[in-house]
Amino acid sequence: MIKTQGLTKRFGRIVAVDKLDLDVREGDIYGFLGANGSGKTTTVRMLLGLVLATSGDIRVLDQPMPRSSRSVLPHVGALVEGPAAYRHLSGRANLAAFDAMAADGRRADRLRRVDAALEQVGLGAVDNRPLRAYSLGMRQRLGIAGALLRKPRLLVLDEPTNGLDPQGIREIRDLLLSLHAAGTTIFLSSHLLAEVEQLCTRVGVLAQGTLVIQQDLDTLQRPTGRTFVRTPDVAQVRSLLDGQVEVHDDDSLLIRVSDAAELNARLVEAGVRVHELSPERHTLEDVVLAATEAGNGRRADS
Amino acid sequence: MIGVELHKMVRDRRTWVTIGLLDALPTLVAILLAVTDLGPRPGTGPAFLSAVLADGKLFPLAAIAIVLPLFMPAAVAVVAGDAIAGEAQSGTLRYVLVRPVGRTRLLVAKLVSVVSFVLLAVLVVAATAYITGSLLLGNQSIAATTTSVSGTALSTQELAGRTGLALVYAILSMLGVAAIALFLSTVTESPLAAALGTLAVLIASTLLLTLDAATSLHPYLPTRYWLSFVDLFRDPILWRNVGRGAGLQAAYVAVFLAAAWANFTTKDVTD
Amino acid sequence: MTPGRRWSCVVLALALLIGLPLIMRALPPRDSAIGASALLDRIDASRDSSYSGYVETLGTLQLPVTDRFVDVGELFGERTRMRVWWRDENAWRVDKILATGEVDLFHDGGGTTEWSYEQDRGKRTRDPDIRLPRTADLLPPELARRLIQEVSRDAVERIRVRRVAGVAAPGVRVRPGAAQSSIDHVDIWADPTSGLALRVDVIAKGDKTAALTSKFMTVSTETPDAETTIFRRPPGAEFVYDDTLDIADAANQYAPFRPPGSLAGLKRSPSAQRAVGIYGSGVTKLVAIPLWNKAAEPLREQLEATPGVQSVAEGDVLRVGPLGVLLTRIEGYGGGWLLTGTVTKSTLVRAARKLDARLAQYVVTVGPR
Repeated sequence: MIKTQGLTKRFGRIVAVDKLDLDVREGDIYGFLGANGSGKTTTVRMLLGLVLATSGDIRVLDQPMPRSSRSVLPHVGALVEGPAAYRHLSGRANLAAFDAMAADGRRADRLRRVDAALEQVGLGAVDNRPLRAYSLGMRQRLGIAGALLRKPRLLVLDEPTNGLDPQGIREIRDLLLSLHAAGTTIFLSSHLLAEVEQLCTRVGVLAQGTLVIQQDLDTLQRPTGRTFVRTPDVAQVRSLLDGQVEVHDDDSLLIRVSDAAELNARLVEAGVRVHELSPERHTLEDVVLAATEAGNGRRADS
Repeated sequence: MIGVELHKMVRDRRTWVTIGLLDALPTLVAILLAVTDLGPRPGTGPAFLSAVLADGKLFPLAAIAIVLPLFMPAAVAVVAGDAIAGEAQSGTLRYVLVRPVGRTRLLVAKLVSVVSFVLLAVLVVAATAYITGSLLLGNQSIAATTTSVSGTALSTQELAGRTGLALVYAILSMLGVAAIALFLSTVTESPLAAALGTLAVLIASTLLLTLDAATSLHPYLPTRYWLSFVDLFRDPILWRNVGRGAGLQAAYVAVFLAAAWANFTTKDVTD
Repeated sequence: MTPGRRWSCVVLALALLIGLPLIMRALPPRDSAIGASALLDRIDASRDSSYSGYVETLGTLQLPVTDRFVDVGELFGERTRMRVWWRDENAWRVDKILATGEVDLFHDGGGTTEWSYEQDRGKRTRDPDIRLPRTADLLPPELARRLIQEVSRDAVERIRVRRVAGVAAPGVRVRPGAAQSSIDHVDIWADPTSGLALRVDVIAKGDKTAALTSKFMTVSTETPDAETTIFRRPPGAEFVYDDTLDIADAANQYAPFRPPGSLAGLKRSPSAQRAVGIYGSGVTKLVAIPLWNKAAEPLREQLEATPGVQSVAEGDVLRVGPLGVLLTRIEGYGGGWLLTGTVTKSTLVRAARKLDARLAQYVVTVGPR
């Protein structure tokens, strides 16, 4: 769905994005992670043809961008760096105006499309007050509704849950999951690890303009080869598995054994009481921090 | 896209406030003239103003002459300066572009919208002036003729025709301003900066026109032929400056639209 | 297309737009083979031709003026735009174009009507021989006709052809023969076929740029429509008749003086038979106007306040470009002679001295008014 090769953007002497090779596959919910100022937004803008790349290729929906933006963008819904709309128009009038801008889409269906999009984001009951009277959350929802107007094959969303309350965040998450289930590929740019962890199937991490990780989330969260055990009988476990215990405190231990089932059998056999036992997995946070630091280190070296 | 832009302009309260302000000055002048009966001395004041006390039919022209040198260009600069920069500032520009609306198409739509604004403003000012003129000012329709600048008699029909031409010329004169403001609007992300930049160009042009040392530049200055619509009321009509004015405005529109196009279509939209 | 390439397209288009007309204008027009005196003859012979067009004159002379001389001051000190329709000497119209109106002269055999839009008034006067300069006098053909009067054919030379109002006009340079003249030369460019003068530049001694330029911006040699040159009184406008055209006409008619037959070596023109004396010919002209007190005093005040003015025994003398101005002072008698023309300062002073002496006689015989 999105493929870039050597994508680079310089603003004067500053390199904002450096030789990026993104690969978003059909059916992904791709989490694009990075700190503020890491080049996320610039990348998103380049994908949408708003910012022109200094060098490198972009293909979206298997067509070159920005050259084919006329045929690509109608199938892409986007939310870039916060929502925006005309302040003197109502939400409905705003969506109708945006809908009317592009040549496709039948005029007769416009109201139906607009209503459907508003319904999807939970603004179905909104009145006709102008946008300047909207709350931040309502604007965010309206922005997402704008992205959904054309039933896009690809959604590019930049911080979609910004300004929403927990209830709103949950609704949007459910909405995205249902869209994904219906076949929409989602490219989600965010600085919130938790959001990405809960939603995404694949993760790319950007640090200072370079892509330091691009992996399936499952692969990143693979087991570490250790097993976590919580037990009141810490001393007993230590004596039983001498040399394999790595860390321990009052009631929990990390044991260098990858097969949790086998470990469990041994502990039960020895009569150890176990509250909790699970294979340890890499957390996204650890992976991202490690990769980001490595990236920074590399940069500092060079 | 053009329809959307026009719709947006008509729905925007700012459009009507601007036109209302534009209209206020000539109306005030008409009321003052009617109350005091004091016309400007011959040879002073805007064109036709000394004649309106006797002939209220000329007031639309006087009104145009009143607003054309400063008010009208200021309004056009504000509206056209807002065209792209305003969308950039409010953040809607990126959503318009990913809709997708081609950048060239957006520019054309904005130009059409600005031109429509000029049209609307000139017509509203002229219509209001016609009403205030015939209600408040001299209504000597005894002879049913008006005197041309050259001292010949103009029938009401001729007067209407020439007034129409003058309005068209006034609209044309504003197109150059619109093009400059539109270009600046693609350069900066602040609508205010675009409007002020345009006004600075116009003020500089007006200033240079008073300077003999700049004579060789005069035919190229955007404000040079603005008031030449008076020539349409000479008999026979003096086409020379009107024609040059029209040509000059066309050149300004061409050059600045081309510059706006070159700048905007290759610009990084990073607002 | 890269940004650079787009911008170069735009810059190229702009350069073409500005450059092409400039290049077209700069390209030297084809010169005609006509000789200087033949061209002068042709200009001379074009006296009866009809024409119409748009004329721009530029005077650079900041003359001290009082309200009786305002029009003259504007004519020689500012840019004047005119439209002209010239059928013949007795049927023409010259409009002075103003930003918010115009002042038009309509001339027929019986006199001249001046229409002023802003005053909503027509004024009909006779057309006296002696009067102050007016717009119509500065039309290139009229100006040229006056300046080349009695010019000797060996004082002329050809100058480079020049494009005037779209016509490739060969030029001729006229130098005044008289030593009294303050004019270095006059350049005239004329239509080589009709002989119609299209541009006239007057250059003062010691100057490089023209003190006065008059040129056609557009010109047509077709006879203009008769209807155009006839003034019809518009309904509701004021219309007046006036016996005297201007201060020179008034002085000429009513002042009790007869200036001498020659002044400072310049002969009096046969057309000056009354109180105002006109001396010299062609490029070198001196005019003596007797002014009564009410007209002379404001002018004297104005003159004395002008930088560069010199007080001599005969009066106050000033030189502005090629124009000399001297206003004499007469003890015990108000008023004075206004001497002006395209002559040097010393010529003016000499003339004033002679007038002074003669005036004394008249004061005795006629007495103060």
